[in-house]
Amino acid sequence: MESADGAARTLLSIGRLSRGPPFGRAHGRFGLSPSGRLLLPAPRSQENADPQRTAFLLRKQWTLYSVSPLYKFSNARLRDYARLLGAFIAAEKQKGLAVEVGVELDIKVAVSSLPDLKGSDQDQAAILVQLSSRSPASPKNSEEKLVWSGWFCCVSGDELSENVPEDFTCLPLFLANGAESYTSIVGSWFQKTFDCSFCRLAISPLNLSWMAAMWTGCKVDKTASAMELVFSVPCLPQPLDISYAIHPEDAKALWDTVQKTPGEITQEEVDVFMDCLYSHFHRHFKIHLSATKLVKVSTPIASAHCDGIIKFLQSQYLTGVLMLLTELAISQIQ
Amino acid sequence: MDETVAEYIRRTVLKIPRDEIKTMLEKWGFLSETQLQTVNFHQIKENISLDVVQLCEENSADIKQAAVLDIIYNHIYPNKRVWSVYQMNKRGEEMEFFDLTDFKKKFKRRLRSALKNVTINFREYEDNAIWIRIAWGTPYTKPNQYKTSYAVYHSQTPYVFISASVLRSNLPLLCQALVVASNYHDIREMELRSHSLNSLKDIVFKRYSQNFQTYYPRPLQERNVALESADPRIVQESRNEKERIQRVNREVFGDGPQPKLEFAQYKLETMFKSDPKMDVLDKKEPFRCLVKFSSPHLLESLKSLAPAGMADAPLSPLLTCIPQKARNYFKIREKKGFFPGSFVSP
Repeated sequence: MESADGAARTLLSIGRLSRGPPFGRAHGRFGLSPSGRLLLPAPRSQENADPQRTAFLLRKQWTLYSVSPLYKFSNARLRDYARLLGAFIAAEKQKGLAVEVGVELDIKVAVSSLPDLKGSDQDQAAILVQLSSRSPASPKNSEEKLVWSGWFCCVSGDELSENVPEDFTCLPLFLANGAESYTSIVGSWFQKTFDCSFCRLAISPLNLSWMAAMWTGCKVDKTASAMELVFSVPCLPQPLDISYAIHPEDAKALWDTVQKTPGEITQEEVDVFMDCLYSHFHRHFKIHLSATKLVKVSTPIASAHCDGIIKFLQSQYLTGVLMLLTELAISQIQ
Repeated sequence: MDETVAEYIRRTVLKIPRDEIKTMLEKWGFLSETQLQTVNFHQIKENISLDVVQLCEENSADIKQAAVLDIIYNHIYPNKRVWSVYQMNKRGEEMEFFDLTDFKKKFKRRLRSALKNVTINFREYEDNAIWIRIAWGTPYTKPNQYKTSYAVYHSQTPYVFISASVLRSNLPLLCQALVVASNYHDIREMELRSHSLNSLKDIVFKRYSQNFQTYYPRPLQERNVALESADPRIVQESRNEKERIQRVNREVFGDGPQPKLEFAQYKLETMFKSDPKMDVLDKKEPFRCLVKFSSPHLLESLKSLAPAGMADAPLSPLLTCIPQKARNYFKIREKKGFFPGSFVSP
C-alpha cells in the first residue's frame, strides 16, 4: 500500500527528523539516550481521561501500520470525509471489487475525533473511522452492525510533528480491526486524498523483549494473567512452537531486582532480564531460546505479536503503550 | 425410518472423503452389493449422501446400524479426536479369562443403571481392540448422537483410550462402567494425551524402537566418506562435534521413527538460580512457570534441535523421557538434597 507519489517522499528527505544532537535514533529501536530510556508513564489520572470512552479499544486485536504525514487534513471536515469515504466504498463495490461476494451490504461510514488519546498538547487528537453495515432487507431503524474500525493516532510524537511544514498533520500510527479488504479500501482512500502512505508495522524480537521487560514492571492486581513469551522455530523438519509463561508476581519480582534506577530502563537491563529467563529455561530443557525467534509477548497490560498486532488489556496503560507504538511507527517512517 | 436417524446417516456420509465412501459402506455391510451399485459415487457428496439415505430408508435402518457406521468412520479416522490414556489396576495377579459377552453385558447394565438415555454400541477388531461408542442423553432427553464418547479397550492389557468429546461430566460414569465390566479394581488417568491414537498405543505398548545400542555400524560413516570425496577443499567444520551430536541423539531417541505427539506441557515449580555476579532475584520460593511445546510431530522436532544448533546434546531428560514415562504432562519440583541440578517429577 505504498504511495507512488514522489511528493511525499521528497518532503521527508528534506527535513532531518532527529531528536537532537545527544540522542541518536537507533534504527528500528526505541530511541535511547546514553543514560537510558524513560519508563512507561504511571497510570493516567482520571481527571481528563474517561476510561469508558476508550473501553471499546480494549481486548480487540489491532493490526498496526505506520502512516506518513497527511497533507491538508482538517479536523473540522470529519463529516465531509465520512461522506466521501462512504461514496468511495460504494463506488468500489459497483466496480465489482465487492468485499463479500453475494452479500449485499450497505456500508455507513463514521469519522470522529478521540481527544483523550494523546500524549502531549502538541499531539494531534486521534481520529477514529468506523464502518457499519445494515442489510438493505432489514427495516430502516434496525441496529447497525460495526464491521470494521480503524484509528489514527499520535502519542508523544513531538519528534515528527515538530519537523513537518504547516500543511501536514502527523498521525503516524494506524490501527485496524476487521476484514483486510476494508482496511485496503480505507487505506487507498486516505492515500489518494491526503498524499500519505501506509506501511505494515512489524515488531522485531528486540522490541518485543523491551515490551516484555517494560510491561512486566507495571503494577497489576492479584488476579493478573501470566507473562507469556512465545517462540517459534520454523526452520526445522517439523516446526516447533514454545510457550513460556511465568507467574506475573515472579516475573515482576525478577524484573524489580534487575532494574536499578526507577523511572529509567536501559538496554543492558532488558538483556539481563531476558538472559535470566533464557538460562532458567536452559537449565531445565537444554534448549537455547536465544537461538529461536521471539514472536509474541503477552502481559496483563497488553499483548504484542511480531507481525504487528497488538491487544490493549488495561485502559490506564493505554496511552503508555501507544507512546511506544508511536515511536516505532515514527522510526519506520524516517 | 426415523427422521433423526436419516439425518445422522446423511451427515456421517458427508464427513467421509468422497473416494472412500464406497469402501466404507462396503465395510458397513448394511446395504447390499446390488443396492450399492445403484449409487453413482462420482457425483457430488451432497447427492451421494441423499442416495445413501434413500437406500437406508428401503432397509429401515435404525440408530443401531447408523452408530456402527460412525464407529467405522472413527476407526479409520481416529486422529480427528483427542485421546487420553487410562490405566486400570487389579488387586491380585490372577490372569482371568476375558469373556467378551460378559464384558458387554456388565458395561451396558452399569451404564444404564445410572443413566437410562444412552446409546451403546460395540465393535471388535483384530488387535483385541474393543471399540465402544456412547451417545449421551440426560434423564429427560434422548441421547444426542452428535455428542459421543469413544473408549477403545485392549482386553489383554489394562489400558483404555478414551476420547470424551464435550461431555466430561459423564467421564466418571464411563470409567466406572469400564472397571466393573472388565473386573478391575480402579482406573486412573495417565498424563498422556494426543490426536494420534496409534502413537499413544505405540508409547503405552512400547511398540516404538527404544534407545537400545545397536550392534551394526550405521550408514552414517558411509555418508561422511561420500562427503569427503566431493571436494577436498571443502572441510567440515567441527565434524567431531557434529558426529557426537548425532550419536548422542540416536542413543537418547533410538533409531526408529518417534511416536507422534502434538504437545508436551511442563508446570515448573523449581527455584530460580542465577550467576551470583548478576545480583538478581534470590528468592526462597519457586519461580513458577508453565512451558508448552507444540508441533505437528513433537518428538521428531525435539530430536532435530541439537543437530540444528539450538540445543545441547544430550537434550534434557525432561523431554527425552516422554515415551518411556508414557506421559506428556509434567509437574516439576526441585529435588531436595545433594543434587540441586536435578528434578523430580511426581
